[in-house]
Amino acid sequence: MIAIALILGLFFALTAEIIPCGPLYALLHPDFVALLLIYWAISSNSELSFTIVWLIGLFQDMVLGDMLGAQAIAGVVMIYLLYTSLGRVRRLPSWEQLFFIFLLLLTHRLLVWLWQAWAGFITWHFSLLLGPLIGALLWPLFTLILDYLRHALRPRHT
Amino acid sequence: MPALFFPHRYPPLLRVAVLVLLSAFVSVLSKKYPNMESVSLTMAYPVQWTSMQEAGFWRQADNYLQSRAALESENIRLHAELIRAQPKLLEADILRNENRQLLALLDSIPQPPGKVTVAQVIAQNFSPGSQLLTVNMGARAGVFVGQPVLAAGGVAGQVIRVSPMSSQVALLSDLDSSIPVQPAGADTPLLVDGRGDIDRLAIPFQPRNTTLKVGDKLVTSGLGGRYPPGLNVGTISAVIHNGDQPFAQIAVQPAVRLGQLNTVLMLWDRPFPRPATTP
Repeated sequence: MIAIALILGLFFALTAEIIPCGPLYALLHPDFVALLLIYWAISSNSELSFTIVWLIGLFQDMVLGDMLGAQAIAGVVMIYLLYTSLGRVRRLPSWEQLFFIFLLLLTHRLLVWLWQAWAGFITWHFSLLLGPLIGALLWPLFTLILDYLRHALRPRHT
Repeated sequence: MPALFFPHRYPPLLRVAVLVLLSAFVSVLSKKYPNMESVSLTMAYPVQWTSMQEAGFWRQADNYLQSRAALESENIRLHAELIRAQPKLLEADILRNENRQLLALLDSIPQPPGKVTVAQVIAQNFSPGSQLLTVNMGARAGVFVGQPVLAAGGVAGQVIRVSPMSSQVALLSDLDSSIPVQPAGADTPLLVDGRGDIDRLAIPFQPRNTTLKVGDKLVTSGLGGRYPPGLNVGTISAVIHNGDQPFAQIAVQPAVRLGQLNTVLMLWDRPFPRPATTP
């Protein structure tokens, strides 16, 4: 049940990244898959496998049609950085946690950007900063919804 | 979560390093073998199809909630547009006939008219690095790599990857995009490059004393043989002569609203290739 919910959640996060809703949405939407991975890593008791994060990132690359490997590498590095200080992040007050999430999302976005710059040439764009910022601001709402869903889907032993 | 393929006894940094190397390997491999990209586009199709359905659902809900007044004003606007367009259509008809007669006089074979099909946008990816659309027509519908893609107003871009069910279109604003143009009415060959900005293209390497000016319309020149000549590309929106720059900086406003595309037109300039039938 939980596994199906996870896969469905991932599926919808992926569709939310490519849904054709005009240029403003496309530039400013937060990276939903990265948010989901962060939530997954913070709230789950067992450790998230890097290989699975990598595979999810690779599939995201396929869906986005970017250079293969960009999201994969960004996802793995982001989750690695999160795991280096996971215990601290869990105990942080929510405002400081928000800042940490922002840094993680920014790292993710910049890594993807650098990986693409490897193929083309570099242009700076304000969405590189605004996307992660909006993602971090949405984080409390995001955790609220996912916490509720997780609670509702938890298998009950009666 | 089980440690799939990768035992946890190795230190995390080593695991990350191996995956980073693997990413680089996959990247290089996908650049080298374009077939891989076609396969990945096919695998992505279910997700993209779902996103199109979601977008359609939102649009329907939006239409449903739109007020009567808004619909009426839109109706009036469309009527006015139709009335304005009708003389132009008539003119085009006359020109087409005249053209046919002239070609007959010249004893040349008339060009077969191009075939145009409407395709639906099922996914978009606008980042500074890439400006891509995915449309719901692929190799099965006869789409090929390098095919010109039009939209209301002019050229939108060209097909860069094809899978059986879908294909990917690089918009004019993509970093890798470059299209041969000329000012309407003149035959100076120019290039218009994408800069990763959805409503701003650029003409590179023009001298500072260039004769191009704001308001000049640009059409495809047909050089390179990829786009047919005479299609609208855009209008020059700014010419900046900066003191210490060796070239003039020329910005072009694309003729198509590249960010707002829901449907695009796939253009077959040549007659549609039919698969050979074996008796």
